[in-house]
Amino acid sequence: MYISHPAKPVAATVGPVILFTAGAVRFAVEASEVQEIRNSDERNQLHKPKGTELIDFAQRLGLGPGILERFVVLKPGECALGVSEVERMTSLPKAVALPRLFSGAERQWYRGLLLLENEVVPLLRTEYWRKPPLPAQGSESGV
Amino acid sequence: MNDTARFVTFPLGAERYALDSNQVKELVMPSRVYVFPHTMQSLEGVLVRHGMVIPVCDLRTAFGHGGERNLYMIVHCNYAGRAETVAVPVSGDCALVQGERSDAPEEVTFVAGLLRTGGRTVPLLDIDRIMAHCMQSGMAFAGEAKR
Repeated sequence: MYISHPAKPVAATVGPVILFTAGAVRFAVEASEVQEIRNSDERNQLHKPKGTELIDFAQRLGLGPGILERFVVLKPGECALGVSEVERMTSLPKAVALPRLFSGAERQWYRGLLLLENEVVPLLRTEYWRKPPLPAQGSESGV
Repeated sequence: MNDTARFVTFPLGAERYALDSNQVKELVMPSRVYVFPHTMQSLEGVLVRHGMVIPVCDLRTAFGHGGERNLYMIVHCNYAGRAETVAVPVSGDCALVQGERSDAPEEVTFVAGLLRTGGRTVPLLDIDRIMAHCMQSGMAFAGEAKR
């Protein structure tokens, strides 16, 4: 056994991110990937005229049905993530890759992990969430 | 084949096991484990050490018991052909010992050999094989953040 001197992590900064919670867990999405944020009472304005797919984000991740207070509309507007709270935006957080031992579906869900002040927050891979859910996953689709 | 080297011994459930000290990077006090939804049954989440994000692996998948956790053993392993670092919760009764390693008399799951130290024989774990076993995917979300 020896005293470790770990190599500095390969951390990169990403652009501004929006932090939100779903199922009592905090997540991040790059602000540049977000078209708009809507309140829950505006869901009809999203779903009906625009045909935006509304996703219960917490439920899709196996966290159980979420309280959908806000909808985070991803560009180009075909999909909106229903979340319980949009907290804040933060600039230039450090991002690290998801450790390789996480080798399941989470590699599609997340681009990596953000190291915030006292928190590690998964950063969404928006290209995955823009796609319709696969039936084989047994996941619940829309709201 | 016998060789003398240094090893770390530690309990898992009722048994005591050993790892080559070269595989053990450090022993750390419990720190916050950050959890988020994922599909890996044996991974609880991650902890952060010196700015590095390290997955926390509960060996219950391999050994069927968890027990107390007073320390995290940060270990090196090879997974899918690449070096990885993983944090394994242990009860804390760890010891750095010198001993003589020998081959196990028969093939035992997860055992790479035997360590003779202080008049005892302790199974030497094959951490690479354990990790390969533990890294099974299945919906396993860890709920709230633990400290």
